[in-house]
Amino acid sequence: MNDFNAAPRHSLSPNAINYWRREELISNLIAFVVLAVLFYLDWRFDWYNWIGWILIGLAIIFLIGLVWSVLSPPLTFKSWRYDLDEEFLHLQFGIWNRTEQLVPMTKIQAVSLTQGPLMRKYKLASLSVETMGSSHAIPALPKETAAELRERIAHFAKIKEVEQ
Amino acid sequence: MIAAQRHHPIQILFKIGRLIRNSVFIFLVLFVFQGDNSSLYVVYGRYAFFLFFLWFLVSSVLTWLTTTYALDDQRFYLRRGIFSKTDQSIPFSKVQNINRHTSFAHRLLGLTSIRFETGIAGEDASVKFEVVTQNEAARLETAVQEQKESLVSEVRTNVDRADAAPETERVIRKSQEERVIHFQPTRRDLLKASMTSFSFLLLVPLLASLYYNVSEFFGLEERLDGIGAILVSSPWFIILAVGLMVLASFVFGIIHSFIKYGKYKISSDSQRVYIQKGVLSEAAFSIAKERVQAIEITQTFTKRILGLAEVKLISAGSLSMGPEDMSISSLYPFLPKKRAYTLVSELLPGYRIQEDMKRLPRRALWIRLLVPSWLWIIATAVLIYFQPEFLGIENTWWIASSILLAFVFISRVLDFLHTRYCLNDELIQLKNGGFTSTLFVTKREKIVEVEITQNRIQRKFGLSSFQTVTRARPIHTSYLKDVPDSMASTFSHWYRGRMKEVEMDTAN
Repeated sequence: MNDFNAAPRHSLSPNAINYWRREELISNLIAFVVLAVLFYLDWRFDWYNWIGWILIGLAIIFLIGLVWSVLSPPLTFKSWRYDLDEEFLHLQFGIWNRTEQLVPMTKIQAVSLTQGPLMRKYKLASLSVETMGSSHAIPALPKETAAELRERIAHFAKIKEVEQ
Repeated sequence: MIAAQRHHPIQILFKIGRLIRNSVFIFLVLFVFQGDNSSLYVVYGRYAFFLFFLWFLVSSVLTWLTTTYALDDQRFYLRRGIFSKTDQSIPFSKVQNINRHTSFAHRLLGLTSIRFETGIAGEDASVKFEVVTQNEAARLETAVQEQKESLVSEVRTNVDRADAAPETERVIRKSQEERVIHFQPTRRDLLKASMTSFSFLLLVPLLASLYYNVSEFFGLEERLDGIGAILVSSPWFIILAVGLMVLASFVFGIIHSFIKYGKYKISSDSQRVYIQKGVLSEAAFSIAKERVQAIEITQTFTKRILGLAEVKLISAGSLSMGPEDMSISSLYPFLPKKRAYTLVSELLPGYRIQEDMKRLPRRALWIRLLVPSWLWIIATAVLIYFQPEFLGIENTWWIASSILLAFVFISRVLDFLHTRYCLNDELIQLKNGGFTSTLFVTKREKIVEVEITQNRIQRKFGLSSFQTVTRARPIHTSYLKDVPDSMASTFSHWYRGRMKEVEMDTAN
């Protein structure tokens, strides 16, 4: 068992930064195209004035999001930590608001591993864990680690408490 | 296994009765108010009504014919469905609490209804018997309870193998069945309850709605105008009328709370807690002690002034008894505070509530006052935009805005003053709330998961927040904001120690 109150030891796959950047790039491109089409339509069909203002507002939000999507991946990577032993799953994450979660293994009801097409390219997978009340996910783990963790959690979670 | 049997046939009558009650209005419109109207809508409406009624009759009989239940010493076996059949088996061990409700109609016929609530998610969360005889209900209830008791003793023997005589243990427990009554409200308690629940204010809206309903059909206004003229003619009449009205309100309020909270009874035996209530229609609730997930003690502003409190038991099964006002979610809503604390420890061994709890550090107040109030910002923005004039006052917007701000601040200061916490062995006590304060108490083995958060401002001040999740319907989260960092880490350390109390299921 780990030292009490120690921060969780493990971090995500270093590939995660590149993966998030690529993912953000794709969604930003889509957003850019949609915005550009809207601006063109606005100009072409002379829509109401207020629609123009809303579009400018959206464009500003888009620009802020663009800057953030470049800056955030390394920060997110640095903020993420996880750990597990036979009793607890311990997660810690968050850039602005740091969140620490402690989930007893015996309360875990399901573990699943998901991998999108882009994740496959970077050999990543995300692991999600469901409890009675909520679900928790560890994003962007190396594929092999994720598979191994899934087996370990499944093994530990099989031991059941007397239900009361 | 006992052969499957149908539900009580009176269930069909109850269903039809409910249909008649719900469709009285449509019936009146179609056949009485529009009785001599022969327009197409009304005529077809009548046919549709007849058809619907007929279909309902046939379907309730068919449903009754095809719905059966059976039970052995382990589980319920339920079967239902007219065309597509559904078979369900629910183990007794999943039952969280038992609710029994006897409406006035049930009582006239010597019947009752009973529900076994499970913690299963979804629609089939409860095993319902809408109409059963008293004997059958008692048989079902003991079947479920006995299974639990034997389960408990099995676990005991598993844990402690030296005590290898489960049979004798069970016999002993049988003889201990006498229930101890812990609380029954006295007349004084009921009077207090009728004052705090403001039930005396109920008469006026009741009369008003009655008036509007009746005056739709009869010309009440002209008749009342005459009475009104007499009243206004002399100040004595006005005083007399107002006095009568106030008196009637109080009498009504007292009768209302005697009917609602009279005959309340909280009792327990070695295994379970029982709550009974109701004068005209009765409701009873029972839960095994170890199934109580947590306790919540709530004090509203008025209750705090009078030193009263409401104690709630949190169960993983549903507590409501249907649409009527007969749900038992609390032990008794108007317990004197001290009595509430002692009652909890009498009913639930292991729950000793400690009264002196730790307060938050002073810097937590500053942080709370500094955080912007979204409610106030949005309300002020709306007020500035619309510039309303209330009672002809031009500057309504900034007056209203500052009153709201004052309220927000008072509520935050009160919340700071009320917030207390305490870790007491395996118990955790969290108290918070502004105008209404809530004390949440649970054991660490009942906490399903915990979360500690810290935002940037809190990090500067060395503060953290944490929350606990316990089973309930829906999931219950309890939180404590702005505790010192050291407390947050003590808390997670404390939670890691839960394995000491948790019993492992060796059957797996």
